[in-house]
Amino acid sequence: MLRLEAVSAGYGRIAALKAVSLEVREGELVCLIGANGAGKSTTLRAISGLLAPGAGRITWQGETISGLAPREVLARGIAHCPEGRRIFPHLTVRENLEMGALLRRDRAAVARDLAAMHDRFPRLAERSRQAAGTLSGGEQQMLAIARALMSRPKLVMFDEPSLGLAPSLVDAVFALVAEIRAAGTTVLMVEQNAMAALRLADRAYLLETGQVVTQGTGAALLASPAVRDAYLGGATA
Amino acid sequence: MDQTLQHLVNGTVLGGTYALLGIGLTLVFGIMRVVNFTHGELYTFGAYMAYALVALLQLDFILSLVLATVLGIGLGAAIELLLLRPMRRADIDSVMLVMIGAALVLQNAEMWAWGGVAKLIPNPFPGEPLVLGPVSVLPLRLFVLAVAAALLLGFWLLLDRTRFGVAMRATFQDPETAALMGVRIGWVNTATFALGSGLAAAAGALLGPVFIVSPTMGDLVGLKAFAIVILGGLGSLPGATIGGFALGYVEEFAGGFVSTEYRDAFGFLLIILVLALRPQGLVPAKERIG
Ligand SMILES: Nc1ncnc2c1ncn2[C@@H]1O[C@H](COP(=O)(O)OP(=O)(O)O)[C@@H](O)[C@H]1O
Ligand SMILES: [Mg+2]
Repeated sequence: MLRLEAVSAGYGRIAALKAVSLEVREGELVCLIGANGAGKSTTLRAISGLLAPGAGRITWQGETISGLAPREVLARGIAHCPEGRRIFPHLTVRENLEMGALLRRDRAAVARDLAAMHDRFPRLAERSRQAAGTLSGGEQQMLAIARALMSRPKLVMFDEPSLGLAPSLVDAVFALVAEIRAAGTTVLMVEQNAMAALRLADRAYLLETGQVVTQGTGAALLASPAVRDAYLGGATA
Repeated sequence: MDQTLQHLVNGTVLGGTYALLGIGLTLVFGIMRVVNFTHGELYTFGAYMAYALVALLQLDFILSLVLATVLGIGLGAAIELLLLRPMRRADIDSVMLVMIGAALVLQNAEMWAWGGVAKLIPNPFPGEPLVLGPVSVLPLRLFVLAVAAALLLGFWLLLDRTRFGVAMRATFQDPETAALMGVRIGWVNTATFALGSGLAAAAGALLGPVFIVSPTMGDLVGLKAFAIVILGGLGSLPGATIGGFALGYVEEFAGGFVSTEYRDAFGFLLIILVLALRPQGLVPAKERIG
């Protein structure tokens, strides 16, 4: 479905990705793990068009999408829920959700999806007319996820959705991601919280300084001594 | 007391157009981070276009004002596409220099095209003032106020109620995430600059018939627009509106009660005062555009 072939990208002279190849198949939940600065966010940014790859190719359903503008990537069904939530703080909760559906022209269906989001997230419904910046951290993360879903993506990319949340909320976020995948949306997730992410993932890639160093099923990576030593610090599940 | 009411009315008329100027400038700064030195020249441009359409082509007065505004929007779009877009990644100093250069070119073009002699724009309104109790006001000035108020309201509705407005506010708050939602940032920038320019041109076309039209009329007005924007808080739409009216009232009251000659100076005195007491401007950052 989505394929990265030897993709390199960077910021000015800094090479953040060095020939990264990875694949996401339809219906999968794939995780990207790795230490801070490994290039996880950069990978997602290259896919969504925020950053044009310097080399390599990104294909989506057989079409080359590397170098397309974010709008074009989104229009093809890839939504990117960025690191740090990035909700629009001075827009209302409702306006934030509407921003997620900006490219959709089917007004009636958008209204139905909005109602469905309100059913799924009663807190967002209650705070519909409130500035999004007044929400709690957990609520903001729910809003960011809901906003990404409002485009009805085929593939949704989450960048560290559990970042900075209390443990109980972390579980809620992972449960939500599992739910989204179960509902048929393909998921590519970046996580620092590798244990939880690997348990959830069908497959996973471990990035180190801009390169894929290990890949396999979530279970295999969890069991892999390399991953445990290098990344999970030998912690036991 | 009689005089107070009179100055209040005059200040409101003046303040309405100042608010238009301020909103146009603050919007461009807020969304594009561009200090727009051409703003005063767009004001002059609007006035000259109104002059050309009304006095030379003898078109209908109101139609001429509308066309002058549309031409201002067009000129703004051209400036954005030709000068600002190629400089998207340039630093703010270079952009400022280019904008100062553009303002000089525009001003000299006005001088070259129209000569240095001031022009008058004829208007179809009766010359006798309307007298309401202690207050007398020229029908033309009431018309100016009504149009300015309608433009302010229309602009607020555009930003508050339309998809485009929401996208614009989102871009103001977080351009990168707005791009992820499908907003064409380049297009929002062009539209913002064009609309801001259109508001300046509209203010010029509205005040041109009230005062006189000359190539340097935009100098002081451009300066005042900056003052209004700084007064209200950079990037704040409500701030620019409040700042515009505040400046209108101060100039009018100071001109009336203290000294006509120094009326402009009082406006700037107000700004110094506000900045000394509230350096962030009248409206705090969190209440800004978005
Ligand atoms: N905007 C930026 N400008 C310059 N360098 C950046 C920028 N963003 C990230 N980098 C660098 O690129 C590398 C990869 O960063 P990133 O993809 O954000 O890592 P991760 O998401 O895995 O923590 C890091 O070395 C980081 O310092
Ligand atoms: Mg990251």
